[in-house]
Amino acid sequence: MKNIYVLAEHRNGTLRDTTWEALSAARSVSSQLGGEIVCLLLGNNVSSISEKLAQEFSKVVVVEDPNLETFNSDAMTQTLSTILKDESDYLLLMGNSNSVIDLAPGLSVVLDAALATDCFGFEVSEGQLLALRQIYSYKINALVSFKNCDKIVVTLRSGSFSFTPAGQASGTIEKRDSPLASAKLRKTFVSYEEAEKGDVDISSAEIIVSIGRGIGDEPDMDMYQSLADTVGGVLACSRPIVDKNLLPKYHQVGTSGIEVKPKIYLALGISGAFQHVGGIKGSPLIMAVNKDPRAPIFRVAQYGVVGDINEIVPALEEKIKELKG
Amino acid sequence: MKIIACMKWIPDTSEAELSIASGGKDIKKDDLDYDLNDWDRFAIEEAVQLKEKYEGAVTVVSVAPEDAEEMLRECLARGADEAFQIWNDSFEGSDGFVVAKALAEFIKKRPFDLVLTGTLAEDDGGGQVGGMLAAMLGVPSATLVSRIEISDGKAKFRRELEGGLYENVEMGLPAVISVATGLNEPRFVSIRAVRKVASVDIPTVDLDELGMNENQVGMEGSKIVIEKVYLPPEGEGAEIIKGSTEEAAARLAEILKEKGVL
Amino acid sequence: MTILEPANVPLAGVPAPSVALIVLIASLSFFAYVMWKRIDLLKRCAPDPRFSDVSQRIKMMVLYGFGQLRQPRYLGAGILHILLFAGFMILSLRSLTLIGRGFSADFHLPLLTGSAAFVYDVIKDYTVLVVLVVCLIAIARRAIWKPQRYAHPGTSGHEGEAYIILGLVSALMVTDMIYDGSAFIGEAHSEPWYLFPATNFAAMFMKSVPSQALEQLHIGGYWAHILFFFGLLNYLPISKHFHVITAIPNVYFANLNHGKIKPVKYGVDDWMELEQCGVNDLTGFTWKHVLDFYSCADCGRCSDNCPANIVGRALSPKMISIKARDYAYAKYPVFGTPKDFKDKKLVGDIITEDEIWACTTCGACEQECPIFIEYIDKIVDMRRYLIEQGALPQSLQKPLQQIKKKGNAYGAVKSKRSAWAKDIEGVEVRELKKGENAEYLFFVDSCGSFDPRIQEISKSFARILGKSSCDFAILGQDENDSGNEVRRIGEEGLFEQVSEKNIEAFEARNFRQIVTFDPHAFNVIKNDYPKKFPISHCSQLLSKLIRENKIKFSGEYLKGRVVTYHDPCYLGRHNNVYEEPRFVINSIPGARFRDMERSRSRSFCCSGGGIMLWYENEQETQRMGERRVRMAQEIGAQVIVTACPFCLINLEDAIKTTGNEGKIEVIDLVELADRSMS
Repeated sequence: MKNIYVLAEHRNGTLRDTTWEALSAARSVSSQLGGEIVCLLLGNNVSSISEKLAQEFSKVVVVEDPNLETFNSDAMTQTLSTILKDESDYLLLMGNSNSVIDLAPGLSVVLDAALATDCFGFEVSEGQLLALRQIYSYKINALVSFKNCDKIVVTLRSGSFSFTPAGQASGTIEKRDSPLASAKLRKTFVSYEEAEKGDVDISSAEIIVSIGRGIGDEPDMDMYQSLADTVGGVLACSRPIVDKNLLPKYHQVGTSGIEVKPKIYLALGISGAFQHVGGIKGSPLIMAVNKDPRAPIFRVAQYGVVGDINEIVPALEEKIKELKG
Repeated sequence: MKIIACMKWIPDTSEAELSIASGGKDIKKDDLDYDLNDWDRFAIEEAVQLKEKYEGAVTVVSVAPEDAEEMLRECLARGADEAFQIWNDSFEGSDGFVVAKALAEFIKKRPFDLVLTGTLAEDDGGGQVGGMLAAMLGVPSATLVSRIEISDGKAKFRRELEGGLYENVEMGLPAVISVATGLNEPRFVSIRAVRKVASVDIPTVDLDELGMNENQVGMEGSKIVIEKVYLPPEGEGAEIIKGSTEEAAARLAEILKEKGVL
Repeated sequence: MTILEPANVPLAGVPAPSVALIVLIASLSFFAYVMWKRIDLLKRCAPDPRFSDVSQRIKMMVLYGFGQLRQPRYLGAGILHILLFAGFMILSLRSLTLIGRGFSADFHLPLLTGSAAFVYDVIKDYTVLVVLVVCLIAIARRAIWKPQRYAHPGTSGHEGEAYIILGLVSALMVTDMIYDGSAFIGEAHSEPWYLFPATNFAAMFMKSVPSQALEQLHIGGYWAHILFFFGLLNYLPISKHFHVITAIPNVYFANLNHGKIKPVKYGVDDWMELEQCGVNDLTGFTWKHVLDFYSCADCGRCSDNCPANIVGRALSPKMISIKARDYAYAKYPVFGTPKDFKDKKLVGDIITEDEIWACTTCGACEQECPIFIEYIDKIVDMRRYLIEQGALPQSLQKPLQQIKKKGNAYGAVKSKRSAWAKDIEGVEVRELKKGENAEYLFFVDSCGSFDPRIQEISKSFARILGKSSCDFAILGQDENDSGNEVRRIGEEGLFEQVSEKNIEAFEARNFRQIVTFDPHAFNVIKNDYPKKFPISHCSQLLSKLIRENKIKFSGEYLKGRVVTYHDPCYLGRHNNVYEEPRFVINSIPGARFRDMERSRSRSFCCSGGGIMLWYENEQETQRMGERRVRMAQEIGAQVIVTACPFCLINLEDAIKTTGNEGKIEVIDLVELADRSMS
């Protein structure tokens, strides 16, 4: 492999973690197949970001243009194809973020590259790169190859590659001209829009801490919210919680509430009535805590703890904080 | 307004217990029910709603085997005006690139203002076809779109970013839009509604009509190939974590860390 | 002194009989014209074969029409109405006589002469007084106590109608008294006052009136009475009091097929071929259903008992009738041609989708209506239309799709349908293959096959059948969802699909009887399936086994706790099974059984079974199940027994949300029997 490119993702002047995760993946591939890791930073007035990147990457290629201020997939495609048009034998890595989802497929066609999305691991076999992804409602692992294609684009599942910036490299920053000056963009960013205040979209959450009737009559809601914050997830619930007005309706998981597909679903005091279970079918990992060992939630969960959630939840949060350091 | 909606026919795996087929490159599909990909349900509904609002016609098309006629008929019952089924047995094993290519060849031959697809399909979870198709057609595209308005020959839409953030974007037509689930409320299709369109002809489009050959489709035409599939190691049923509260909490936290959450 | 009779006094120079004739002809012509208009609409409506079963219909008419048997369900109002109705019956003869008196001063109805006339006059005199008093009480009730069931949420213009009618009736009584009383004063009387109390009472006020004025009162009272009479008659078909005319026919033509949903359209071979399925306009309803709209007396008993209405959902059954009648009167006016209400659709604008989906089809409204107005068939007809438009609530779409694809709403694979039956301690559950025999075919239905909680009832039932040596078997994966709610949600095509598959499975096997513990399956197989199969509810089979001494109970499980029984709608109201479940409970030694205030035909729906379990209502302010649990709480029940798996699910949920966990236990009859068997 000649080059491994990592696309830096940023929003509102802040680098997104997906960038570091992609770097971690790049290093892992590079250690097996070689290849120089190059960071591609496309933006506008991004000198501080480029400096931060240069502390981790040995080489950062920067293109600045007002049209690259936000993640405009059209502008991104035109710029990236200009950078990569004469290249071959490369791997381009990006986080599988909602912005990249808008970019990667079209870009791969323009680059004539092979694309694998939402990958969470790599393997090398006979000198060939293989990517690991999940198919069939995230229930089956699949190892895919890129045939003999020497241009590969891979997007990475968030949370699959961990990386902590060390800030020790002093890479070069190479500025290139924007090809967009004369180009006409077909897409125009208008504005960001925040969901209504207090409006939590549990349907798109990746980590859900969900509470059910088992939390008792006088629950300590702060305790659960705090756990959800600690794991970086959102708080959801089963129907009795909504009925008791402990959480608004848009927090309710289930076939009669909102169907969710988080990567991790932590079910606390949820017995697992079918209406509820119907709403979490797509979750690849369900962990349940319930005092009733026969609760049906354990039939769909991968891991279960039988016990009092009022004791387990604080202990769990404590342990998580320890592990997070 | 001429709208083309691209549908996918997929096995419903959300509920079923899956097992690996011999050869280890796919799952056993004999016992699975096939259905319209859920994301595409929102796409066809949006197509019909846009047609009802701005007038025009909706064409549905799918790269899918014979059995999928049921799905295309359901789309007609939802309000599509015509349906086409692209198929040749050599399509078996095609990746998103091949499907996008076939759709692009089909669409190139007819005028359109808007192509609608779902952003993802539940089977391969690739999320590629919409964007690839647009690039092949040379038109702009957007994914995860949760609201669409058409005015001044432009699509004004909202797409989902993470954590409750959206972006409003404008894009000239013709274009390809891949929708997010939940942007509308798909209508119900009764048995009678399907029977009413029972006699509508759904032409099958073969490779030659697309100007493609067998080498361009199936595994041969694909850019990525599944080498091996396997069940994730989790196993079935919950592994009950024993021990004291402290121990159980510690183990749960470890698992969360292993899963890359922390 | 003899007072001059109206027939002999010309009015403004015109001879009285001529005036009487003009009034008679004018009134009857107008009345006939309006009636013709009203009937004309009925003739535009969909067919409804209600002309067979004459003897049963006559019986209904005598018992519930003339006998007013449903009136005393509301005791006070019921007695008032019975008195009023009896008064109307009695006074109808008097009215005819008075009309005749316009032509001839000594007109008498044939047979009502001599001593018969005397006896009738005595009765009539009392009746007048009674009716007047009843009217005054009724006015007072409405004005002072304002019973909530008379309210008209969301509409206006009807509040005054009741007063107009009561006023007119009172005026009829008063004018009659004036007419008789004024004549009374001028004559010599030997009868004691109490034979003619109304007349004497009226005379008392007119004693000091000079004779000429008395005559004017007599003549005036007469003509006023005649005008009020014809005024009332002509007011009836343009007001809510049309029921005075239509109630008796409405009872005669009542629905005799309890528990069954009407076909999409009567007299059609293949409804699939119809231009439209379901009802979105007046004429889409059957003529009987529009007659129902005409007949609603606005008493509000339906809504007062409607669980959807009580918990705050958008539905109030009587408002469906009233709004539809208003719409009918406006769209088909007395004068002029039918109007085209393009922007105001009956289904969608007048009767909203929320109302239509709020109904649990529990049947409480139909049970309560004194004149047998139907609601379920109408709701289902309107749902059929909405389904055709694709306008099914999102929460119900998935379960219906699952039934279509997999034969069950749970989305489970067919091959797992009998998985619950493996490894039950002490009993082996046989799958009945095609061509095989069994005495009982246990129809498990989707809930008993796939819902983990309801599987427990399936297991209990299998254990009981096994222990009592019944030869029973299940269909296994050839069983499909029974389709009770599929039909009631209005997806007729899917109902046909599942029922045909089940019928095919039944016909391929030999059994003496189907048994099921799910009243919804029981109802649909018994009443809706186009082919008939012998079927029992488990409570009926359990009663039989107890009577045959095949089951013996001990009181060990109940331990003398206070037990109440929640009547499931589809067992009780729709199929009249009230006694057997109580018999089973009372066969358990030491059971301290108490009925709730709302029991038997007044039972309170738990919020619906089948796929209604998935339905999510946004308007309701409380859950029906919670309300029901509180009713059980009121009588100190420690155990609520029900005989329907969906009631069990809903009530168990409610136990938790009302904080009664550990205090009240909800248990299915089958589970109770299983645990109490010795």
